[in-house]
Amino acid sequence: MKCAELTEPQITARTPHKNNVRIPTGLLGFEQIKDYVLTTNPAEEPFAWLHVEDNSALAFVVIDPFVVLPDYQPDLPQADVEFLQIKSAGDAILLGIVTINENQPPTVNLKGPIVINRHTHTGKQVIISNAGNYSVKHPLPVAD
Amino acid sequence: MLILSRKIGESIVIDGRIHVKIMRVDGDVVKLGIEAPMEVPVHRQEVYEEIQRNNQQALTKQSTPLPKLPKLGAKKSP
Repeated sequence: MKCAELTEPQITARTPHKNNVRIPTGLLGFEQIKDYVLTTNPAEEPFAWLHVEDNSALAFVVIDPFVVLPDYQPDLPQADVEFLQIKSAGDAILLGIVTINENQPPTVNLKGPIVINRHTHTGKQVIISNAGNYSVKHPLPVAD
Repeated sequence: MLILSRKIGESIVIDGRIHVKIMRVDGDVVKLGIEAPMEVPVHRQEVYEEIQRNNQQALTKQSTPLPKLPKLGAKKSP
């Protein structure tokens, strides 16, 4: 499935919003952690939080990768599309994991986005087929 | 480490459900065909490790202040 057609994720709501997300295979390196809560808050846009469900002090900062790179064209492997039961582009939400660095600009991982089926709330960290075109540390522009 | 010899077209079976077949050998490049259940992720090791490392660096405490971004992603109207 070519994902240029994936529509803009609608992870943002007008009020803080929490959604449970199940990631059955875990994130890479965190395979044992499968249950997360995705929290979006208009005041924190364009960022959102993906908390570990049973340890909310642990979290990943995430961002809509299309906001960072409007012409981002991730190509999702067919096996992952089937695993997530994504039938059309509108079923998918993409999140890029943000790394906040001390002395350097924050970065976003565009090689391995988290893809969530917005209907089933099931997600997976997907290594895109065209990972070679993107970086795990794509810099975010930062305001002064 | 278990070391097995295989010919082109031959396979190994792991745990009764993961099949790895030698598809082609071309110089120092070996093409493998892998059949595994959907819940078993299969990755090239170097990409896996790069993303794993990045995830570990990205894991944060909820109190982390978020960076300020310039006006980004003015959403395109459809």
